[in-house]
Amino acid sequence: MTDWSAMTDAEFRKEVRQFFEAEYPEELRHLPHRPKFAEIEHWHRKLHAKGWVAPAWPAEFGGMGLNAAKLLIFYEEQQRWGVNRGRDMGVQMVGPLIIKFGTQEQKDYWLPRILSCEDIWCQGYSEPGAGSDLANLRTRAEIDGDDFVINGQKIWTTMAHDATHIFMLVRTDPDAPKKQQGISFLLAPMDQPGVEVRTITTLSGETEFCEVFFDNARTPRENLVGELNKGWTMAKALLSFERIFIGSPSLAQNALGQLESFARGRGAFDDPVFRDRFAQAALDVEDHAALYARFADQLKRGETLGADVSMLKIWVTECFQRITELMIEAAGPDGGSIGPLQVGNVSVDVLASFYKARPTTIYGGSNEIQRNILSKAVLGLPG
Amino acid sequence: MTQTDILSSEQEDLRLLRESARTLFERAGGSDRARKLRDARGGFDAEMVRELAEAGVFGVAVPEDQGGLGMGLAAGGVIAEEVGRVIAPEPVVSTIGLSLGLLRRLCPDHPKMAQLIGGEISLAVAWQERGPDGAPADATCRYADGKLTGGKAWVVGAIGSHGFLVVAEQDDGPVLVLAEADAQGLVIDKQTQADGSSLGELSFSGTPAAELASSGAVLTALAEAVADATALAAAELVGLSERAFEITLDYIKTREQFDKPIGSFQVIQHRAVDLNVMCEVAQAGVREALAQMDSETDPKVRAPIASRAKARAVTAAKKITRDAIQLHGAVGYTDEFDIGLYLNRALVLSAWLGDDAYHRRIWFEAREAEGAAQ
Repeated sequence: MTDWSAMTDAEFRKEVRQFFEAEYPEELRHLPHRPKFAEIEHWHRKLHAKGWVAPAWPAEFGGMGLNAAKLLIFYEEQQRWGVNRGRDMGVQMVGPLIIKFGTQEQKDYWLPRILSCEDIWCQGYSEPGAGSDLANLRTRAEIDGDDFVINGQKIWTTMAHDATHIFMLVRTDPDAPKKQQGISFLLAPMDQPGVEVRTITTLSGETEFCEVFFDNARTPRENLVGELNKGWTMAKALLSFERIFIGSPSLAQNALGQLESFARGRGAFDDPVFRDRFAQAALDVEDHAALYARFADQLKRGETLGADVSMLKIWVTECFQRITELMIEAAGPDGGSIGPLQVGNVSVDVLASFYKARPTTIYGGSNEIQRNILSKAVLGLPG
Repeated sequence: MTQTDILSSEQEDLRLLRESARTLFERAGGSDRARKLRDARGGFDAEMVRELAEAGVFGVAVPEDQGGLGMGLAAGGVIAEEVGRVIAPEPVVSTIGLSLGLLRRLCPDHPKMAQLIGGEISLAVAWQERGPDGAPADATCRYADGKLTGGKAWVVGAIGSHGFLVVAEQDDGPVLVLAEADAQGLVIDKQTQADGSSLGELSFSGTPAAELASSGAVLTALAEAVADATALAAAELVGLSERAFEITLDYIKTREQFDKPIGSFQVIQHRAVDLNVMCEVAQAGVREALAQMDSETDPKVRAPIASRAKARAVTAAKKITRDAIQLHGAVGYTDEFDIGLYLNRALVLSAWLGDDAYHRRIWFEAREAEGAAQ
């Protein structure tokens, strides 16, 4: 096993870059959609053989055991080369939760299956009445003999139609005094009569999101992770690293590169108004990257990130949207056309970028929720 | 020492520098001092200039073998941020960036260097003339037989300075000369600025001046000094924006309407967050730009970095100071509240050496030129 901590950051970056460049299948670079597992299975096998499926997990559980600095480098290189994250809900969410709060039996059983993708996970958090107000969730789980019986509905469940298991927040004590209490963290198999999945067609025509209906679905009691009614606190504890990742500059940087080549091909730079708006967007991306570097340095020094890291997400997602809107402007009369637009020797799918940018200000805690958090936790504003 | 150690010890130096500059300004009276000086129409405080000099402020970016601290532009930016926080009227950025920026590049052995670093004198740089961009390219200000004729515009720190470093044309090209403030045939027209400071409009008629340097090196050094001053002005705006935001944040936490602090209303909270984010992005972007300028020697690369910094800082400062007035409500429109001082200073610093639209254009053109060269 490699001791990554013995390597300098630069050496590590080189190693990761070389592996991606040599081994990542060309046809999977910068995939515009979320793949089903079958589409990326050959890549996952390589990654699994290399032992690189779970960069953040401790080595004793089959992860790479990277520190924050190297983890960031790993993700930066992944994004730089357009390496698909794969079906990583198990690795990103379930694994860390089981490692932190699970029993020895749960660790022994689930973790290897996550790494091998024998089980493919989806995340059952949001419900029709519980989006930004997640603690309002109503899906019930009641103990019945050796099982929990689950009734209710989850929504925006990404790739549920290609998952074997769901990890979910469910209400186990409807009488708890605060709605954040009485929520538990459950694992459940998808392949059973009480679970029905329907895909949701999005504005862009994709079907990545699903609704999942539970009608007396069952899961064994040993699939409760952590203590009964303590699921909320556990789920929150998992979000710390996610918050810098979701604010990384890569999406906006890639879009800016697309915008530039597209606009050049279209002659949009002949227009001084467009030039200025392009310069604004480019500088917005550049200065965001400087702020991102400041937070990343904090992580590298071993410090914990505060709530202020949310500002990265607000800035970069809104910037990403402005860039894709400029692409539509540069497209002129083609701005309503679906599919790749050819300019010179590049082809850019303008609307695909536009659509991709829309939900970024909604998911991962909408930007309005992020502003609420910043105003209270960082600025100390009352109420 | 690993690279991380070197980095953090550098950062430790900057932190200490920031602390001592902040203490010095706070002890002198913070932003109240700026108000008093403005009301007294006294320009700046010569005693403060000497105190700043004692703390090493003016020589911060001058190499050690030329009598400075040799801490680079990043350290200059730390000072500039602190100047901005208390809207100090002393010509700190123009001295570090322009006067010393020119002298250390063209005549580092000149005795005026030590006097400037020591705070004994201040010299204003007269390089622009009225024209579309205020650039020195079509200079009509002439130097011949030891005498200046013509005019210079937008001279910062002209009032109260001991002399002028003038960029002029002589028969065989550009020249840098020194004219004393009380020299014969020098008329200084004062243009009052929003913050109470003045710009000087100079006219020379046979004004005696001493040559300091000549040839193409003058324009190269000038471009470099202007880039330095531009980036430092950006840092000053960052400090100003930060403090303006803090004042506003305090205000919305205490001002009550409908029986609650107005800062408890979500619409106010979200606006405050946007200003805070704007401020943090500006601080990160400008500090990174200054550090990059320190590690870069090619003037063609340094200039657009300075433009990036100024473009960001002006955008942020304009937004923050104007929204700050709105969040203060009617009292924000009075002279009594300090927030207006910050708005007025931001107006002046934004206009000086080019605003955000101007610098985005410069930045973009440089980027295009670089792309074309590749």
